[in-house]
Amino acid sequence: MTRVAAGLVILLAALMQVTWAPQLTVLGAFPNLVLVLVVVITWTRGQRAGLVSACGGGLLLDLTAPGPLGAHALALLAAAYLVGFWVRNVDPAQLVHAVIATAACTAVYSLVLIGADNLLDLPMPPLDVAAQLAVTAAAYNAILVVPALLLGRRRRVRPA
Amino acid sequence: MERRTQSRPTGLFLFLCAAMLVLAMVSEQPWAAGARGYAKGLLAPLETAMTAASGRLGAITAGFGDNAALRARNQKLVDENAALRRQIAELQAAGQDNTALRQALDLQQAYGHATVAAGVIGRGPDGFSLTLEIDRGTADGVRPGMVVASGAGLVGRVREAGPHSAIVQTLADPQSRVSGYLVASGLEGTIFGGPGDLEMQINPRFGATPAVGEWVLTSGVGGGYPRGLVIAQVASISRDDAATADGARLAWVNDPAALTVVLVITDFTAS
Repeated sequence: MTRVAAGLVILLAALMQVTWAPQLTVLGAFPNLVLVLVVVITWTRGQRAGLVSACGGGLLLDLTAPGPLGAHALALLAAAYLVGFWVRNVDPAQLVHAVIATAACTAVYSLVLIGADNLLDLPMPPLDVAAQLAVTAAAYNAILVVPALLLGRRRRVRPA
Repeated sequence: MERRTQSRPTGLFLFLCAAMLVLAMVSEQPWAAGARGYAKGLLAPLETAMTAASGRLGAITAGFGDNAALRARNQKLVDENAALRRQIAELQAAGQDNTALRQALDLQQAYGHATVAAGVIGRGPDGFSLTLEIDRGTADGVRPGMVVASGAGLVGRVREAGPHSAIVQTLADPQSRVSGYLVASGLEGTIFGGPGDLEMQINPRFGATPAVGEWVLTSGVGGGYPRGLVIAQVASISRDDAATADGARLAWVNDPAALTVVLVITDFTAS
């Protein structure tokens, strides 16, 4: 996948996240397609590619969200760094590790997002509501990463 | 080579984190609001196209079942039902306030305010801030702080506005707070947003009891919203003898996931 193609896929994921994904809301949470894509890129292409895609995808999400630019990028960077650390220390062929890593990095993403709001003195949701949303989103993203990773691996193998 | 790609890019991570923190702090400054608004409008055309594609996809899907006409009719009935529900609530409120009945079929007259119609082109990227993005901005007279409603009732408030797009914080946002009152009992309280139903903390008053099914309207207390906009209907009430206020779970008249068109009230300024 070229860098341009990767950029277009991230743009498409960000657009889908703010137009289509909210229609799939469960208990207040909906799929974070950009985060799932960042996990797949980090898992299959390495931490450096994951960090760059996290930064780009996060900035795109920032353009559609209230508040300052950079908060979503920061949260996705933390998630990508965690996934990169995870994939180096486990067998990346086992999907269960990707599922656990996605759930964990969704929690980190949520934590950083709330922390950034707090740091920038922006309004935050009550902590119990935030925790409920984070847990639901973690489960949602963890389920979605399995087909996304299988698809990512197929595309990774095909050029060879 | 393999070792190099596998090496820990902590430096890159720290550099990007620092850059994003600086960007966040700079873009948060009041003098950067204009540039931020322009930047946030960049994706609006793509979001509009994506939302339109989503609508067409829905129509195609409906065509497979040969029920497109039924869906259109159903949507019309849903819209009419929402308008009638709002009309009922407003008529009840009008009776309670002993004010003249308002003509509900004409939204602008019904609200008694000047409005700008806007299409919903996107939603917030996560559940922490349930927002809508609309295709009207400062060039159309939309400003931050303006109140947003739909045919059914109150939607929320404009939080940020660019030249041709704006971000609306909805009542479903966990950070939303609105002062409201119950139409039949006249009790007042504060409505809190949430990921599920809205919650209302009702201030007690001797001799008045809240009831399930009562309509909740904006009270105008605090000056944040004009009085008389329909918010929700009481779904359940929880009483706690130890507490100083009753709690109520409200069924919001709007479904943020289904909203496609909203009205921005342009002649009301929050105090």
